[in-house]
Order: sequence, then C-alpha cells, then structure tokens
Amino acid sequence: MAEILFSSWGGEVVDNRSKEGQDLEPVNTVELPEYFRQDEAVKALMGWYGLVIRDPETDIVDLSRVYMKEIQEKSCGKCFLCRIGTRVMAEILERICSGQGKSQDLGILTRLAESIQESSKCNIGQSGPIPILHALEHFAADFEAAINDKKVVPAGTYHSKLTAPCMDACPIHLDIPTYVECIKEGRFQDSLDVIREKLPLPGVVGRVCVRPCEEHCRRMNLDAPISIKFLKRFVADYELSKGKEPKFAIKPSAKTGKVAVVGAGPGGATCAYHLTRMGHEVTVYERFDEPGGMSAMGIPDYRLPRTILREEVDRIERMGATFNYESSVGKDVKLSQLEADNDAVFIAIGSQLGTTMGVEGEEENYDGYISGVQYLLDINQGRDPYPAGKKVVVVGGGNVAIDCVRCSFRVDKPDVNLVYRRTKNEMPADDVEIHDAEEEKVNFHYLTHPVKILAEAGKVVGLRCVRMELGEPDESGRRRPVPVEGSEFVIDCDIVVPAIGQTQDLSLLEGREDVKTTRWKTIVADEKTKQTDQPKIFSAGDCETGPGALITACAGGRTAAYSIDKMINGESLEYTEDDNFDTFFKKVKVFDQAEDLGFLGGRERKELEMLDPDTRKFTNDEVEQGYSIQEAMIEADRCLRCYRVATVKV
Amino acid sequence: MVTLTIDGKEVTVPQGTTILEAAKGVDIKIPTLCYHERLNPIGSCRMCVVEIEGFTHPMAACTTPVEDGIEVTTNSERLTRIRQDSLKLILVNHPLDCPICDKGGECLLQDLVYDHGIDQVEYTAAKIERDSSYATPLIRYWPDRCIMCLRCVTACQEIKGIGAISIKGDGYGAQVVVVDQDKCQSCGECLQVCPTGALTADLSRYKGRTWLLERVPTTCTYCGCGCQLELNVQNDRVIAVTTQDGVGVNQGSLCVKGRFGYEFINSDERLTTPLIRKNGELQEAGWDEALSLVAEKFSAIKAEFGGGAIGGLTSARCTNEDNYLFQKFMRAAVGTNNVDHCARL
Ligand SMILES: Cc1cc2nc3c(=O)[nH]c(=O)nc-3n(C[C@H](O)[C@H](O)[C@H](O)COP(=O)(O)OP(=O)(O)OC[C@H]3O[C@@H](n4cnc5c(N)ncnc54)[C@H](O)[C@@H]3O)c2cc1C
Ligand code: SF4
Ligand code: SF4
Ligand code: SF4
Ligand code: SF4
Ligand code: SF4
Ligand code: FES
Repeated sequence: MAEILFSSWGGEVVDNRSKEGQDLEPVNTVELPEYFRQDEAVKALMGWYGLVIRDPETDIVDLSRVYMKEIQEKSCGKCFLCRIGTRVMAEILERICSGQGKSQDLGILTRLAESIQESSKCNIGQSGPIPILHALEHFAADFEAAINDKKVVPAGTYHSKLTAPCMDACPIHLDIPTYVECIKEGRFQDSLDVIREKLPLPGVVGRVCVRPCEEHCRRMNLDAPISIKFLKRFVADYELSKGKEPKFAIKPSAKTGKVAVVGAGPGGATCAYHLTRMGHEVTVYERFDEPGGMSAMGIPDYRLPRTILREEVDRIERMGATFNYESSVGKDVKLSQLEADNDAVFIAIGSQLGTTMGVEGEEENYDGYISGVQYLLDINQGRDPYPAGKKVVVVGGGNVAIDCVRCSFRVDKPDVNLVYRRTKNEMPADDVEIHDAEEEKVNFHYLTHPVKILAEAGKVVGLRCVRMELGEPDESGRRRPVPVEGSEFVIDCDIVVPAIGQTQDLSLLEGREDVKTTRWKTIVADEKTKQTDQPKIFSAGDCETGPGALITACAGGRTAAYSIDKMINGESLEYTEDDNFDTFFKKVKVFDQAEDLGFLGGRERKELEMLDPDTRKFTNDEVEQGYSIQEAMIEADRCLRCYRVATVKV
Repeated sequence: MVTLTIDGKEVTVPQGTTILEAAKGVDIKIPTLCYHERLNPIGSCRMCVVEIEGFTHPMAACTTPVEDGIEVTTNSERLTRIRQDSLKLILVNHPLDCPICDKGGECLLQDLVYDHGIDQVEYTAAKIERDSSYATPLIRYWPDRCIMCLRCVTACQEIKGIGAISIKGDGYGAQVVVVDQDKCQSCGECLQVCPTGALTADLSRYKGRTWLLERVPTTCTYCGCGCQLELNVQNDRVIAVTTQDGVGVNQGSLCVKGRFGYEFINSDERLTTPLIRKNGELQEAGWDEALSLVAEKFSAIKAEFGGGAIGGLTSARCTNEDNYLFQKFMRAAVGTNNVDHCARL
C-alpha cells in the first residue's frame, strides 16, 4: 500500500511529512483503500474520526471547505450550534478558498469548532468539526498561507457521503437514525415512510431480522444497543391497528417495461415492490399458494404470524403487481418463456432443500426421518409431520434447528432434544432464540455428533451419537470439534430432524450455461448490480448468496429492481456512488467498538413482554408482545443519532 | 432514589429525574431556552449544558437523566463559552425588531442575551430569504425572529396531537413550515409556548407593549370546560388573551374561541342596554322598564295558556349557579318544566 503522509484518525497522530524510508510510521487506526473506484485513486479522507492524507498534493484547505459544506448540508437544523455554527464555518472556509480570507478567521474557526463539537445534540455536530480541528492544528501553515496569499484555491474532485454505524451495517441501509427519531417525536407514519423508501416488509423484518444494525449500534458503548428491530415492528403494528391503508407513491420511470419475478419470498416481494413503484409491469410466479418463501414456510407463526406477512405482500399486489400463485417456473412455465415475454427476469427462488448429515441410515427413508425444512413446512401448513412420533431429536446449531425444536412442542411432542457438535458459545443461532428455547425446556446435547440412525421395521427408534471435544481452531476461527473415542451412546427417539443446512433447487435453469452457478449450487450474479452473465436475468436472495437472512434477500431484491430499471431505460449498470462507498466503508469502519463516547450512559433498553414459557410452548400465539406507544417513544429517545460524514479526495 | 451532587450540593431524587429537574429542587438555576415544562425535553438550544465528572463531553441537563453518584458542574469557563456561542449564533441575522416586537419585554431570548452580556457578535452568515406562511391566519410567523427552538412544533404534536407544523430544510436553511394546513385548529398552543416574538397573535399586532398591559385572570365563558385565561387589558380594551402554564383545568391550553374570540368585548355593535320595540323600531330602554315588560307579558301568557306555554333556554356561557337559579325560577315562579340548555347536545 502507498505510504500515508499524515493521519489523525481516531485521535492517533501519525505525521510522516518529514520522514523517509525506515522512519515512516505505520497507521494503525484506519486502512485507507487505494482506490475509490477503478480509475480513481484515494488521495485523502476527511471524516468523523479525523484526517488521513496519502497524496502530498492534497490541498487541505480545499478539502476542509468541501467537507464543511457537506456537514452544513447534512445538519438537520434541530440544534442551534450545528445549524448555524457549521454554516458560519462553511462560509469562512469558502471565503478563504476564494482568496478573501481574514486574519481573524482561523481563531473564529477554532472557537466555533470546539463549541459545536462539545455541545451539539447529535453526532453530525459532535463529529463534524473534529477533522477541521485536526487540520487547523497540524496544517496551520497551509491555512495561513491561503489567507495571506489571497489567491483562489483550485477546487479538487471529491466524493462525500452521510452514513451511521447502524445504517452502514444494515444490508439494505435503512435510514435508522431518522426512522427512530420520528418515533421519538411521535410521528409514526413518517417513520414508516422512511422505512418503506427501501423496505416494503416492516412488520416482517421488525419481528425476525437478524439485526446486524444492533450489533453495530454505538449506544452499545454506553449501555445497550437501541432496539432497532422492535421499533420497526412497532410502527408497522401501529398502522395496522389503526386500520390504515398505506399510500404508496408510484413514480414511473421515463421508460417502463415488463418484468417477471420468480419466487414470492422476501427477495422477490421486495423487488416487485420497487419495480411497481417505478411503474413497471410486474408478474410474480410462486410455486406455493402463498407468499413469503422461507419466512412463511420456515419461520414459525409464534415468531411471525402469517397474517402480518400476508398483509404486507398483499399490499404490493394492491399497488399493481400481479401474483401468480401455484405457478412453478420450470414446470408450469419455462424460464425461456418468461425471458421471451419480458424485458427482464428476476430469480429469487431461495434455498429450499434440506441438506443431509452424511450419517449411516440416512438414505433409507425411515418413517420419522424428516428434513428440517420439510418438518417446518408441514407444521406451518398446520400438519403434524409424523403423528406417530413423540420423541424428537433435531441436529444442528442454527436458527432453523432452534425453530424445529421450538415448533415440536407446538405439535405436541413432549420430549424434544437438540444435538450440536460444539458448545453453546459457538452456536450460530441467535442468542435470544437459544434463550427462549431453554426457557421452553428443550434438552440441549452439546459436543455431540450423530453417527447412525437406528431403525426397526422401517421406523426410527434412536440416534447413535458420539461425544466431541474442541480441538484446534479451523478457518472460521472456531475450534474444530473432534470425536472422543469410545464415547458413543444412543438417544432414544422416534423422529430425527437434520437441520444442518439448505441447498438450492436450480432445476428451472435446465442446465443452461449462460447463467453461471457455483459449486455450492448458487447462482452467480454481480455483487452490486445482481445481474447474471445473461444480461436479462438478475438474481438475489438465498439462491444467490446461499442460505442467509431475510434482510439480505430484501436488499438484493431492491438492488436488482434498480438495475432492471436502469437496463430498461438504456442506462449502463455502472456502480453507483453508494456502491463505491459501500466498498470503501468495508475498510474504513463506520463503527468502532472501542470508541469512548464521553457521555453518561445507564439508560436501560426496553425489552418486550413475553408470553409465559410454560404455556406459550404449546400454542402458536406470538411469543413477543410489541411495544406500547409510550415504551416505543422512550426507547427511541435513547438513540444518539450517530450520523457522520466522510469526504474522499480522489 | 438516586443521589448525586450538583455544584457540590447533594441531591436525592427519584430514578428517571433529569439533571435539570434535580437542580431546580435545590435552587440551582441552569439557563434554558428550548425547555418547556409541558413538553418532553427538546434539546435544541444547548443552553443547559453541564459537565459531569469523568465524562469528557458536556451534556444537556434537560435531556439527561441522573445517575447515582455523579458529580455535576453547572458553571465553568467552557460552559459559559458554549452558552455564549449558542446565543451569538442565534443573533446572527436576528432582526433588530425588539422595538416593534410584540414579545419585547417578556422575550426569553432578550433575557438570556442580557444575562450573558452579549454585546457583540463576531460570527456572520449570508442571510436567507424565508417563507413566512403559517398554518392559521390568526397567527403571524416571523421567520427571521424564529430561533428554531422547536417548542411550537413539539407542542402541536405532543399537546394537541395534531402535527400541523414541522421543520423543513437542511442546516441553516431549516425552518418551521406548515405541513398540513387543514389540520390546524387555530388553537394557538404554538403561539403560547413560543419563547420569542416569532409567533404573534395577529389580532394584537402593535396594540400594546407587554409592560403596559394589565393581565386580568378570568374564566373563559364560551363553554362548560371553564378554562382559565388572562385578558390582556390596556386602556380598558382587551387586546390579547394569554394563559399561565399549569393553571386551571386547561393547564395553559385554550381552543380557538377562548384564545382569539375576544373582540366582541369592545365591539361597537355590542348591546349595552336592553332594547324595546316601540312603533316598529327597537329603542334603548332601562332594565326596570324591560324587565317589567317581560314580566307583564309572561303573566298574561301564563294566565291565558298556563305555565306550560312558556319555555326557557339558557346558555353554556352562564355559570352553574346562574343555570341552577334559572331552572329554579322557571319551575317555581313561571311554573314550567320546559327548560333547556345549549350545551346539552
Ligand atoms: C426455519 C428458518 C428460519 C429462519 N429464520 C430467519 C430469521 O429469524 N431471520 C432472518 O432474517 N432469516 C431467517 N431465515 C432465513 C430467511 O427466511 C431467508 O434468508 C429468506 O427467506 C430468503 O429469501 P428469498 O426471497 O431469497 O428466498 P425464499 O424465502 O426461500 O423464497 C423463495 C420463494 O421462491 C419460491 N420458488 C422456489 N422455486 C420456485 C420456482 N421454480 N418457481 C416458482 N417459485 C419458486 C419458493 O416457493 C419461495 O416462496 C430462516 C430460514 C429458515 C429456513
Ligand atoms: S444534525 Fe445533529 S447536531 Fe446538527 S442540527 Fe441536527 S441535531 Fe443538531
Ligand atoms: S444510537 Fe441510534 S444512530 Fe447510533 S448506531 Fe444506535 S441506532 Fe444508530
Ligand atoms: S394553532 Fe394549534 S393546531 Fe395550529 S399549528 Fe399551532 S398548535 Fe398546531
Ligand atoms: S416559532 Fe417560536 S416556538 Fe417555534 S421554533 Fe420559532 S422561536 Fe421556537
Ligand atoms: S377555551 Fe375553548 S374549551 Fe376552554 S372554556 Fe373556552 S371555549 Fe371552552
Ligand atoms: S434547555 Fe436543554 S437543550 Fe435547550
């Protein structure tokens, strides 16, 4: 990597300006990407944490001008110092760059920067002046020269972006600080509008999202993250309880066309929503008789009532999209036909087949051996998958496995076991889910691995297992489990449910070569445009990423919708500014777990009321009870509004 | 309960109390501008910043709940600089309107600028043309006087549950705007909470200086709620209606009638004596003459047709006592049960 000339990122100053060769100090606080996009090398960065300069030609005064202008434009106007103060600062910098600086300007800049930084209401004002203070301290000579020379400072080329730790971590980049603030101010409909700008399924995602945003919430450094997910659910439920039909503004693109969407899961539904909003004629093909994909067939009702899901998808239908249920692409209609009839096809068929464990007895198709996905599908459609069975063993440590065990109680299986080969610490399932399953009294068998399914007269009677211990870490960083010799034992059971993974049924492609697939049987699409090698075909969601999360599928569906719109309008599918910043922020981290905020914390996160574990486990009633208006507003008030701006010089 | 110290004084308050409220309890005055007792803390002015031992950032006392054992300082060089900067920035392009501002003399901004001895402002910014339209013609919005404390927006949303106004625009361009004209009920809640002359009652414009007014507390006569209000009187004319926060059943709120429906009091068209129709023309008469005439006619009707031929209709603008006496009179003296009241709807 090219050397860094100066960095004050994170308050750690590295000044290589007068150093050479071995004396050059490394920068540990940030990794500045070499390129912003293919043809644009990154010369410098100014942002919430400081200043990083690589190219000695960077004009610090001009960079400060552009950055400060951006801060002022992003200031919301809700507190005095930031609203007016950053304007005063921006105008001074503008004046200096136009050759009309005054001697008192630098003093005023420093004083204002300090006051704004110390007392603004949110992070725009609190972080905005930080790099300016660094610049004024370490590059005073440059500013003085600009004032004294009275020459116009030539303007460079920059890219700027507003982000926030939570927003950056959210795959669909929901504007979390704003939708949370709307709740705090009691403007629930406005909050929903902000969410729906990107996501048509707030009630669904507000219940079951894996919430990477909360893991990147800056409030965590003070006490506990904001309950971002449940606040989303709150506004969705509020609207529903008022019986309001949302108004979706349809803004047709210059040119509109016809698009087929394969699969009515979260990915397909989100894509259909955005395309419909842009005025395109959308037809969704879904093989089942109801929408939602894995969120309907996989996720149980006690976590996500299907009425919520159905209503949110039906709204997309009422907006104007056509949904053809019980229409399987590949069987009822050929993909090639859809291609011929439409301007583009979006494939979001999910990852719907269970994978096998590879243990003895699995191929025999004993009664009582049911894949996790099938097991949940049956239960979700109101069937007991195997009424004769009472003792269940589920194998796996992910969310699907937890859903299988918790669902078992709800179809009257009294004895429910989970077998996982590592310990609770390594379990990929959500901690909350594990906790809820523990409360419902699932028997957890950790460090246990299946070896053989035992059967009598074609029926499962037990699962032979072996004890494991943790050895050396593998490539995922988790310690690899190894069998303990001679430790085999049998768990008596009549149902064995492998829930260790899923794979994709790509038969609709009929082996065609123009749509590439990987060896894990996922469809290959461009990471940022979701276009496959066949320009008319786009794909996202689980079938493109492998089994993943709902919000990732929604994000992919949205991206694909915008790409398809561009294609129909004859625009190139070049990466956007947002795409480039996405890549940029993978290196220049927006969230710093070690940040010391300097504020008083201690405001408890409001948790949801839950149904009692001993009764809830036998019903399909929703376990988590949503926030009341008051609770939601108090929780929203904890948000620190961590907006921040980065300006990149190229 | 939580115990903390503020400027060295020990205070014990319930969990959830803000630092500002805790300070009030021990008579420590922290300057505030956007804070209003009837509203959730807004946090826009940053005048109330305080320092807490061990934390690098000053924090707003109005929005920060207390924690056990914290040591709060409400005054320091740094805090004074911040407060002064906050005020100085507000004064950038603030018009020199005080001589003609209806709020002059009881404007919180005036008071704070005075308290902080701000005699010059070294900050400048280009002036922005702003939209002065407002949700109701009864209230005038002066965008250049507006400090964007957001009390008005918050009151309309929180107290009235209406949300007719909001803020729009970015940075220095942000201002209070009407989002839903039709929703506005012209209640004047926004006007009541505005700490400056950015919102004024248009009926009262230039009619009297605040320090020359007499404020007469009274009860609104329009309906049975009985809201408490003050008639602002100058030279025997009512020129405005104001309220005291936290007083009466209305706690400072009014509706459009109570707040703006006072012009009839000094109206030239108002009747000041009874009128009797003589020779086809209404002519002024004395009370004795008028009442005798009514008594005479009533007696005649009663004699001919019985008491049931007479009915009485009274008004919500009378007190309960008046209304009681009225029905008693109708029943006992006139001899009829035909009594009704306009608020019985
Ligand atoms: C049990 C379980 C629990 C989960 N829990 C969570 C959770 O709590 N949080 C979370 O974020 N994620 C969870 N997930 C993952 C999440 O459900 C998926 O990531 C998400 O549904 C993927 O969306 P998708 O649109 O890509 O595919 P899917 O949801 O799988 O939808 C694909 C749709 O395409 C249809 N289809 C398939 N083939 C065809 C065809 N040939 N023709 C027509 N239609 C077709 C399918 O019927 C289905 O409706 C869970 C998954 C499972 C299995
Ligand atoms: S962006 Fe934050 S700091 Fe700036 S005016 Fe709004 S609330 Fe204040
Ligand atoms: S405190 Fe609010 S803005 Fe900050 S990261 Fe958390 S949710 Fe986002
Ligand atoms: S008059 Fe009442 S309803 Fe109208 S904007 Fe003001 S507070 Fe809101
Ligand atoms: S109009 Fe008054 S209350 Fe509203 S923001 Fe302006 S100064 Fe504050
Ligand atoms: S202010 Fe309005 S509500 Fe209150 S008493 Fe008067 S008329 Fe009735
Ligand atoms: S009074 Fe606390 S920020 Fe205004």
